[in-house]
Amino acid sequence: MIRVEGLTKYYGPHRAIHDVSFEVAEGEIVAFLGPNGAGKTTAMRIITGFIPASAGTAQVAGCDVYAESVAARRHIGYVPEHPALYPEMRVRQYLGFCGRLYGMGSAEIAEAQERVIATCGLEERADYIIQRLSLGFRQRVCLAQALIHDPEVLILDEPTIGLDPNQIRQVRELIRGLAGDHTVLLSTHILPEAQAVCERVVIINHGEIVAEDTPQALTAQLRQAQTVFVKVAQPADNISRLLREMPGVSAVEKVGGDPGAYLVDTAMDSDLRDDIAKFVIEHDWGLLELRAIEMSLEDVFRQLTTQEKGVA
Amino acid sequence: MRNILTIAAREIQSYFVSPLAYVVIFFFVFIIGFIFTLGMLGPQTEATMQPLFHSMIFVSLMLAPVLTMGLLAQETSSGSIEMLMTKPVRDAEVAVGKFLGAVALYVAILVVTLEFPIMYEIWGNPDWGLVLSGYIGLLVCGIAFMAVGTFASSVTDNQIAAWLIGTALLLFFWLVGWLGYSSTTWVTDVAKRISVYENFGDFTRGIVDGKNVLFFLSMAVIFLFMAVRAIENRRTV
Repeated sequence: MIRVEGLTKYYGPHRAIHDVSFEVAEGEIVAFLGPNGAGKTTAMRIITGFIPASAGTAQVAGCDVYAESVAARRHIGYVPEHPALYPEMRVRQYLGFCGRLYGMGSAEIAEAQERVIATCGLEERADYIIQRLSLGFRQRVCLAQALIHDPEVLILDEPTIGLDPNQIRQVRELIRGLAGDHTVLLSTHILPEAQAVCERVVIINHGEIVAEDTPQALTAQLRQAQTVFVKVAQPADNISRLLREMPGVSAVEKVGGDPGAYLVDTAMDSDLRDDIAKFVIEHDWGLLELRAIEMSLEDVFRQLTTQEKGVA
Repeated sequence: MRNILTIAAREIQSYFVSPLAYVVIFFFVFIIGFIFTLGMLGPQTEATMQPLFHSMIFVSLMLAPVLTMGLLAQETSSGSIEMLMTKPVRDAEVAVGKFLGAVALYVAILVVTLEFPIMYEIWGNPDWGLVLSGYIGLLVCGIAFMAVGTFASSVTDNQIAAWLIGTALLLFFWLVGWLGYSSTTWVTDVAKRISVYENFGDFTRGIVDGKNVLFFLSMAVIFLFMAVRAIENRRTV
């Protein structure tokens, strides 16, 4: 539904994105994840036809976003990073304006207005002047205008930015509810958001894609260095050294504030939990707790974006 | 076409919910009314719109950039341009729609000023042919002014800068005609031909000359074309 190939964009001498390629299948929800300034907004602005690319192509619903820009834009609902509405207009009036620009007829607009007002929880604010709305409601109006023509593709640039936790939860639920009927590409720099909402994650850093997979697979990919948490009742003085001398162990770290607790890093892609358990019992230290530390997407993200090393 | 009308209608709505439209209409009618009254108070007053048309065109020239300064500059500075330009609309539709919104407000102002010839009719015997030609002149001239203003608003995201650029361009087209009286070379000839003042003069004398109409309409087309190019360029920056 969205196909991006070799997108590159220069702002003067500054390279914002370089050779960005990815695809989003119909009905999929994909997160575009990266730190601030990674090039997420630039890529989205190219896909929505707001700015042209310096090189590369992007297609939405089979239409080239540059050559058939107006046709491509008909298939897209877009929420920009800094949504600016017309403050003097009323919510319903603004939605009607957007509907007309999408070529909808009056009856169709009236129906769509009620549909998106209900979907976005704007019933009580439908006749407010936009200027009088709180940020959270403005964000909902933005989402409502993106849905007014029931587009196949939704492009949401940081849709939960500036919202309070309750509103964030509501917007995420809304986005999840759109899955299946709509193809969603959403950008975020908040990891739990990607994990909570999306089926697939594209990680971008310094304008280049560094990884692309499901949140689970990405985490697994980086599990070559598994960490095991072990806690014992009577730790010997030399326990750290003894553990480090075990085959396959690369590092041992004492957990501060928790006597008898250690983090054991294993270098290879092997599960040492059984070996460690036996080892502790042999030495009669009294095994209290033993578990593998799950690497969160956050760790993956930090690793990918700080080491500048591709794993995909 | 539908997109153009949708954008123009939104622009008109936005004029009338802000104080701008009312302030401009008041200002226009106040100044022209003042000049009208001064004329009436003089001895042996003629019921003719001719001197008033000259005042009206100059006040239009000064107020046109006020009406148009926000058209695109405000959208760019607030960021709403991104929401607009990612809808299935062409750059030209945006420029022309906004321009037509401003023209509609200008026409509304002209309609309000019809009170002056009507007052002449009540107390005198004005030449309605001359009134008609004068208003045709004001209309085509205003169309050109709004196009210049739309262009000025498309090249910057600062409304004050847009107003200054618009005013400077229009004053240039007004004052350039003065060159025409210095001597007679091809420069002065060209200066006279592109002068707003010279091209408007015939309308106040009851003459609707196709040449003059064409001049103002070409001016509008050229500046609108430049506005569209400016919008296209801004996308790439």
